[in-house]
Amino acid sequence: MMSESGSEKSAIHTVGLTKYYGRHLGMEDVNLDVQKGEVFGFLGPNGAGKSTTIRTLLDEIRPTSGSATILGMDTHRDAVTIRRHIGYIPGDLALYPNLTGMDTLTFFGNMRGGVDWSYVDELADRLDSDLTRKVGDLSTGNRQKVGVIQAFMHRPDLLIMDEPTSGLDPLVQREFQKMVGEVSAEGRTVFLSSHTLSEVQRVADRVGIIRNGRLITVESVAELRSKATRQVEFVLDAEADVAAFEAVDGVRNVMVEGNHVEMSFGGDMGDLLTMATERYGIDDIKTSEADLEEIFLTYYHDGEEEMEVPG
Amino acid sequence: MTLANVFSKTIRDRWMGWAITAVSLTLFLLFGMSVYREIDLTIYTSLPEAFRSLVGIGDDIDVGGLAINVVFGTWGGLVVAAIALVMGASAIAGEERDGTMGILLSNPKSRTFVLLSKAGSLLMLVAVATVAVWATVHPIAAVLGVEIAGLDVEALSLHLFVNALFYGMLATAIGAMTGNRGMATGVTTAIMAVSFFAVGFLPLVEGGDGLLKFLPWYYFDGSDPATNGVAWGHIALLVSASVILLVASIIGFNRRDLKGQSVGTTMLDRVRGNPVLNRLIGRLAGSARVSSIWVKTMSDYQTLLLITSVVMFLMMGVMMGPMYASIPEETLTAFDQLPEQLIALFGGGDLSTPEGWYTFETFGFMAPVAVIVVTVVMGGGALAGEESRRTMSLLLACPISRNRIVIEKAVPMVLFAFAVGFATFAGVALGSLAAGLGMSVGNIAATAVLQSLIGLVFGSLALALSAATGRTSISIYGAIGAALFFHLFNSFGELNDGLADLGWLTPFSYYLGNEPLVNGMDWANAAVLAALSVVLIGLSFVLFERRDIRQQG
Repeated sequence: MMSESGSEKSAIHTVGLTKYYGRHLGMEDVNLDVQKGEVFGFLGPNGAGKSTTIRTLLDEIRPTSGSATILGMDTHRDAVTIRRHIGYIPGDLALYPNLTGMDTLTFFGNMRGGVDWSYVDELADRLDSDLTRKVGDLSTGNRQKVGVIQAFMHRPDLLIMDEPTSGLDPLVQREFQKMVGEVSAEGRTVFLSSHTLSEVQRVADRVGIIRNGRLITVESVAELRSKATRQVEFVLDAEADVAAFEAVDGVRNVMVEGNHVEMSFGGDMGDLLTMATERYGIDDIKTSEADLEEIFLTYYHDGEEEMEVPG
Repeated sequence: MTLANVFSKTIRDRWMGWAITAVSLTLFLLFGMSVYREIDLTIYTSLPEAFRSLVGIGDDIDVGGLAINVVFGTWGGLVVAAIALVMGASAIAGEERDGTMGILLSNPKSRTFVLLSKAGSLLMLVAVATVAVWATVHPIAAVLGVEIAGLDVEALSLHLFVNALFYGMLATAIGAMTGNRGMATGVTTAIMAVSFFAVGFLPLVEGGDGLLKFLPWYYFDGSDPATNGVAWGHIALLVSASVILLVASIIGFNRRDLKGQSVGTTMLDRVRGNPVLNRLIGRLAGSARVSSIWVKTMSDYQTLLLITSVVMFLMMGVMMGPMYASIPEETLTAFDQLPEQLIALFGGGDLSTPEGWYTFETFGFMAPVAVIVVTVVMGGGALAGEESRRTMSLLLACPISRNRIVIEKAVPMVLFAFAVGFATFAGVALGSLAAGLGMSVGNIAATAVLQSLIGLVFGSLALALSAATGRTSISIYGAIGAALFFHLFNSFGELNDGLADLGWLTPFSYYLGNEPLVNGMDWANAAVLAALSVVLIGLSFVLFERRDIRQQG
């Protein structure tokens, strides 16, 4: 059990958070602890319970059991006070179609007692968002930009964002990631969910992985990256030696076809590159996105191994 | 299975509303017959011809005839046509508004196919509902021992079916041609309401009969099908009109651009499209509209309020004065001799006096309908609407409590209820002045206040249902259903001693019960209605506070 003072240092702290929709499990026994000032990625496939957790934190839905605090305050009892300090983008964002972007931001700004409009203009500039058009006439991505501005505009202490980059083009995504970095640099906290590892690991310090309603692990991004298995391909200047590659820690399933070598890799990328560059000239290199399912498998795999290890 | 195609999916989405309609009508029929069975019908025999035309009662009056004509004919005709209208307006324009038309048409189906499927499901559901109600008429009459052998219920059912189909197709056509669901609903409702009232009124004035054939509603029961059998000419006319509307729908829908999940462009939008003016006006008008939840809510429903208020002010208020003045002296004298009991049936209004006329024409039916439509749509849409559009998430992310959201949604409803009441008051007062009827302005104001309060009762009920369930359809249909039930209960209560003892149960008895247009304000009645509203709104706070917010619509 975390002490009271411990949870006050946390931006988000949950104890045994459980939600059942009737008999259907939403999430079970989720214990999260997000530190102030960190960027926390909440990772899981669709339907894993990410939105259920987030909606519970926002007091949209009430937990079947367990409790949660945000910035040391109870998510239900102190809901209104908490909301002064947070910015939020719901998953599958919906806005009022008959309002322009500017109207929308004015509306939500007014409910916070006004916002700094020069900052809103700056955010709109950075995201290349046209606030004069009606939200109903905007594409999904452009609508999402309005949602992002809405969450950032009052400089909240804690940003909770459910799949915030959905629909954004890569250029805007990069700008968004910079904005997240700046928030974190100012000592404010960011909690964002995603179903892709690459997106989360670009911005997050730590990642919590949820699956089938249960929090499987919380890891630093570096740790996670070392565990993530990905496909790696080299095109070398000479015929590849299977044994040399298999000798590197984390390499599995090596396949060689002349100068072309392909493998599953779940170790330190530096080790692999050092070995390869020492022995060969490299004509081309290609690594694929680490698959989330494979990471899950790694964890189940680890679990089994631990059980098999004697003593 | 039920999602096999557009046709069956539409039926799956819509059957519930129809089932409720059919069951309610059956209950009303049962209710009506058992009440009429108890009353002394000799009061009807002395009625003047003109009066019977106004209330839709045929020449040979008996228990069965009354029940069939009033409940099945007038009520059934209106309700079934109204539901068909709503469904028709949503058929094409509703899918566009929801943004689902794009994905629907990305399937290998033509627009014509989609439209025909929608029209087919409309036809099917109207038919099934009509048959369902018809099928219960004979058993109910048999069980209650009411004689309906001389009545052609089948003919009336056919008229009812074809009539509803016409309004459904009219709404479909306007929706298909414009993609604007609001316009489809509004225009069709206006045509239906105007023709319904004109069919009742025109026979009263000299030469009015000649105009009847221009009114669509005349072809529903103008021929008195329950007595005279099917008027095939009328049926053919309505069917041809429906077919023409279907063809127009197909042509119109195929020719135009689909609308996105978008909204109309208003004058204000055009002005704001100009960058120079925008900076000036945008902050001025645009910001005002979104300055808070309650102001935004008022802005969202301003069109509904405007239409309702104009109808109440002009048609039901101002116009009714001169109309009354135009009724021939003999007819008024005849009204004067009506039996007491019958007068009570129409809210205590004596038609030979202007107060009675306004009670019967304006305050008895249309005034509560208008205010209840506004309050129920606002109350039902208040919380459930934000939830089904999924915008509640962002509202709740703001530093305001759930209670505050309920308050900010309830306040506009209260204001608008009184706005509709004020429009009615102004119209009636002006109508009385214009025609020199000399009605008491204070009494008109009192009646309008009670009208606003009766609206608030059902609006608050919708709000409470909305707070409890988060579902717009349950809230709106639930509150409308309750209003219909209590209104009928109240009307029949005037005729039946057993029911009259229970009269205090229906909110409507606190509305016109003490004839406010004649006797002025009844503060006790006003207090009851206000207290009921306050209790229901109070309940909304509790219900909304403890519930999970819904994620999907």
